Amino acid sequence: MLAYIGRRISALLVILLGSTFLVYVAQGYSGDPSEALRGSTDPHVKAQLASLIRNLNLNVPPPARYFLWLKGVLGVFVGHFNLGLTRDRNPVSTYILAAVPVTIRLILLSTLLAILIGIGFGIISALRQYSRFDYALTFFAFLMYSLPIFWVAVLLKAYLAISFNNFLLNGSIAPAWIIFASFFSGVFWAAVISGTRQKVIAVFGIAAASTAVFLTLLSVTKWFTHPGLGPIMMLALGIGFAFAVTFVSTGLSNKAALRSSLTVVGIGFLLYFPVEYLLKKYANLLTLFIMAIVTITIAIATSYFFAKVDRRAVARTSLITSVIAGLLFIIDKLMKTWVPYINTDAIHQRPIPTIGQINDLLPAGNFWFSFLDSVLHLVLPTIALILISMAGYIRYSRGTMLEVLNQDYIRTARAKGLSERTVIMRHAFRNTLIPITTIVVVDIAGIIGGAIITERVFGWRGMGTLFITAIDTSDLNLLMGVSLIVSTLAVLANLVADLLYSALDPRIRVVGKK
Amino acid sequence: MKARLKTRSIVAAVSAASVALIGFVAVPAQAAARSTVVVIESNTFTSINNLTPDTNIVINGDVAYLTGMGLFHYDDKLNIVNNPTLGSYRVSKNKTGDFEVTYTIAPGRVWSDGAPITAADLLLFHVLSSAAYNKAAGLGDPNSDTPVFNSGLYGAVYDQHVVGTPTLSADNMSITVKYDAAIPDYALNGLGLTVPVHALEELAAGKKSLGTAAENSAATAKFISDVNSKNTAALKLMGPVFTTGYNATTIDSSTNPLLLVNNGAYMIKSVDSNAITMVASPTYNSGPALSGINTVVIKQGIADGSPSAQAIANGDADVYQGQPTADAVAQLKAIKTATVTTTSSLAFEHIELRVASSGTDTYSGPFAMSGGQKAADLRKAFLLAYPRQDIVDKLLKPVNPGTVVLGSVINLPGNPQYEHTAALNGMAVFNAGTQSSRTAAALKLVQKWYPSAGKTTPVAINLLWGSPGNTRRTSEAALIIAAEAAVGFKVTAPATKGWGGKLTNTGYDAHFFIFDQTANPQDAQACGIFQSTGGSNYTGINDPAIDKACVALQSKTLPSSTVTRLRVQIEQAAAKDAFFLGIFQNPEVTAFNSQLANVVAAPLSPSLFWNFWTWHF
Repeated sequence: MLAYIGRRISALLVILLGSTFLVYVAQGYSGDPSEALRGSTDPHVKAQLASLIRNLNLNVPPPARYFLWLKGVLGVFVGHFNLGLTRDRNPVSTYILAAVPVTIRLILLSTLLAILIGIGFGIISALRQYSRFDYALTFFAFLMYSLPIFWVAVLLKAYLAISFNNFLLNGSIAPAWIIFASFFSGVFWAAVISGTRQKVIAVFGIAAASTAVFLTLLSVTKWFTHPGLGPIMMLALGIGFAFAVTFVSTGLSNKAALRSSLTVVGIGFLLYFPVEYLLKKYANLLTLFIMAIVTITIAIATSYFFAKVDRRAVARTSLITSVIAGLLFIIDKLMKTWVPYINTDAIHQRPIPTIGQINDLLPAGNFWFSFLDSVLHLVLPTIALILISMAGYIRYSRGTMLEVLNQDYIRTARAKGLSERTVIMRHAFRNTLIPITTIVVVDIAGIIGGAIITERVFGWRGMGTLFITAIDTSDLNLLMGVSLIVSTLAVLANLVADLLYSALDPRIRVVGKK
Repeated sequence: MKARLKTRSIVAAVSAASVALIGFVAVPAQAAARSTVVVIESNTFTSINNLTPDTNIVINGDVAYLTGMGLFHYDDKLNIVNNPTLGSYRVSKNKTGDFEVTYTIAPGRVWSDGAPITAADLLLFHVLSSAAYNKAAGLGDPNSDTPVFNSGLYGAVYDQHVVGTPTLSADNMSITVKYDAAIPDYALNGLGLTVPVHALEELAAGKKSLGTAAENSAATAKFISDVNSKNTAALKLMGPVFTTGYNATTIDSSTNPLLLVNNGAYMIKSVDSNAITMVASPTYNSGPALSGINTVVIKQGIADGSPSAQAIANGDADVYQGQPTADAVAQLKAIKTATVTTTSSLAFEHIELRVASSGTDTYSGPFAMSGGQKAADLRKAFLLAYPRQDIVDKLLKPVNPGTVVLGSVINLPGNPQYEHTAALNGMAVFNAGTQSSRTAAALKLVQKWYPSAGKTTPVAINLLWGSPGNTRRTSEAALIIAAEAAVGFKVTAPATKGWGGKLTNTGYDAHFFIFDQTANPQDAQACGIFQSTGGSNYTGINDPAIDKACVALQSKTLPSSTVTRLRVQIEQAAAKDAFFLGIFQNPEVTAFNSQLANVVAAPLSPSLFWNFWTWHF
């Protein structure tokens, strides 16, 4: 095992050396840092050109200049780690350290959501193979996969930002929209649940009617102008989630899990006003962290109290329920922040932004304003990234699930008389995750590389933008800094994926020597 | 089972719908008059000091303009407007070989830390511009080495003509610069405010907080003595502070406040990777008062075109300026709440042919001056057939309907002398008649040497131009290849990344790219292009007539009629040898919130910011 890792790491170093050399030389020959100066008729241009050539060692040919760069990087072994200076004489490391958190903020959430939604849809789609839902999802997945993200971004900005902000000025939903949304909701749920014609019609009717009633209520009661969940709404949602989570996690027949989850929701309901007070009085990340710990403790204690056997399953169920309940508290708080937030001079009634990471005009020091602001800036890029990257996960998990469902052990599980839920969730789903895990690891490593186009169109300044800027301005040191980090992570992620695979699948072993 | 499934689906549908709707909330309200402006820019802020060769980029210049007030500025008509509130300058002696300009700072002007602005602050400019001073003070030779103060101001008119070190008056409020000739444009070429010298001294001494009034005046006094006594050790401490000390990609409350001391209407409050935020400076008294905008935010790194247009439409930004495609212009014009103007900047696209008449240029292709009459005919034919009208009609008019084919590059359209210059400079021959008549004339010239031309393409031409990402140039290249093929030129013109370094490569016969003016001096910066020693001379032209006119334009202030005559002479020489043609002026599209008053684009940097103090909602 150790020998294997050692061998892989030495191979990694060789790969890095080769790839950085190729990138350096290719960009060194194709790019010209003096380009902007060539078009200037300024009388100082000659002196500035000379200064540029001196600073960047442009009179040294790129293959030789590579070793000057390498010397700076290898300085890490003598304590002088130096990725060099950018063209504007700022350290490359400051740019990268500023860009990495931005990129992680942008892409981590969307990748996680895309994985969750994608795998979920993929598995439902596999279970309903060749149904209308399956076909619809396949169509949708390929459609999204083939759309260029800059175009999706333009559409999202036009409808979810510009038009939606216009809609918010008034806040009531037009009847046509209610009808459309109800119809869509009916079709969606009918397709997901599927079954006999009678059942499909019933599901369609119920889903469409409930959506219509719900939207009309929201529109009429002016919920849009005074948003908020309130304790009653949160209790209702909490109970709904408790049932849903229990069903997926253990099955509703596990009474202990259901009771435990419902109790967690009940405790949350009783704590509504104290928690609200705490969130207002001590608005900071520490409070949120402490509350998260308390929530987890309550969930585990409750499950311990209710479960006599199979404690892990019950604890897992209550834990997921409690996390959702906790999120409801935060959402409720953000909704209460909404009205003062959009009335600030910085927002002037247009809360959904099309560009940027944060609004610099917001008054500083208001935790919930900044929180809501970050969330709203994430809305559009996150949706765009989810739409684009979900397709891969849908198709991949569908395929894997179908393969797993044909395995002998699934037939054995069914023959044992296990419930369908147990067969799917415990036997099929877990085995489906093994190959998916490996692509997820590589995808997460890719996160640091940034989403070049997404960052560009949404005006985020992460690694992707840094990469583009480096190429545009022929800033070799900056480019090398970015590509060194991205390629190191890519190679490492492949190693981790391989090791993880062998850990998850007992049939696969890594070998130290032949 | 069935019944349960239904219940579940309802629960699921309702909860999903409500979760989905959580974000959908709003309230209508009335906005008060705004005092904030958000401007979009495409590049990124890198330094408070934009005077080094490494930090001399548009966004740094814009921030410097908003946070620092100078002795004059350009208006939108290219006039120099003086700023008597801050100070004045005048010619104090004008004899042969002794030309002196005296600058006087108005009393009571202060930096943002309360320290008075004095003429000592202008003295720093000498250290930043005079190679002779740097050599004498042991700071390195800017001509051959990276100087301690790496300012990017060396090697120009000031450096060439200044004599000795400027002298301060007894009260330190005036400073006199002595030149060996009556240089033209002495305002442009002369002293200017850069960074406060007391702050520079304090930064060099390692201070981390603002000095007291006594410390500040001691620092200013120390600076004066350091400069006058050429105190190498002290200057070597200040140099790196000036060169890289002002670099900053983030600024917040922990930034050394000495770096932020300025005399502008705004102070930098914060810089993050997203934006630069500037707020009105309470102590500002160096220029006209603000009209109601107290906060300016520059959102940086926003891509041109559609993202910018949608940001304006959504109210994320109030002002945008760029060079978008025709589609993006249409998108901007469709925004009801925005005003869109299209103007021309002082930058022009041109075609230039290699003539290599200077002894050092080894180019020997079909256009080389050494080719005699044949080369002259080929050059003329190439320019006659060049599809300038087509380029303007097809590629430029959709963006700026007012674009014209340039008749002169030295007096661009908008200049009162443009018509006059275009009529006299000899360039009219390349615009006479129709394109088909010009093409026919060109064909005759080529057939003189290659009878089969027109049916075949016997003359191979390598044309150099910029990056593949530039769609306009890609289209231009396609039009050129087709038009020149009709008169017998086989033009090879692939997009070339890194074209800038290849301009001196003898493998290319012609180049087209953009020339961007940074100021409007007496020679209109054209001598850099046409003079044999010019910094932007990539044709290899060495014409005594041009050189003579350039020397005249650069040696002293001339009456405007003489200036026009000399400028015309330069272009006449270029037309005679047929090696240079202007094509079009770069369009500049400005879009801004219609409620924001007084946003007017200007042809020179800092473009639309030039009158920022008059902006208001």
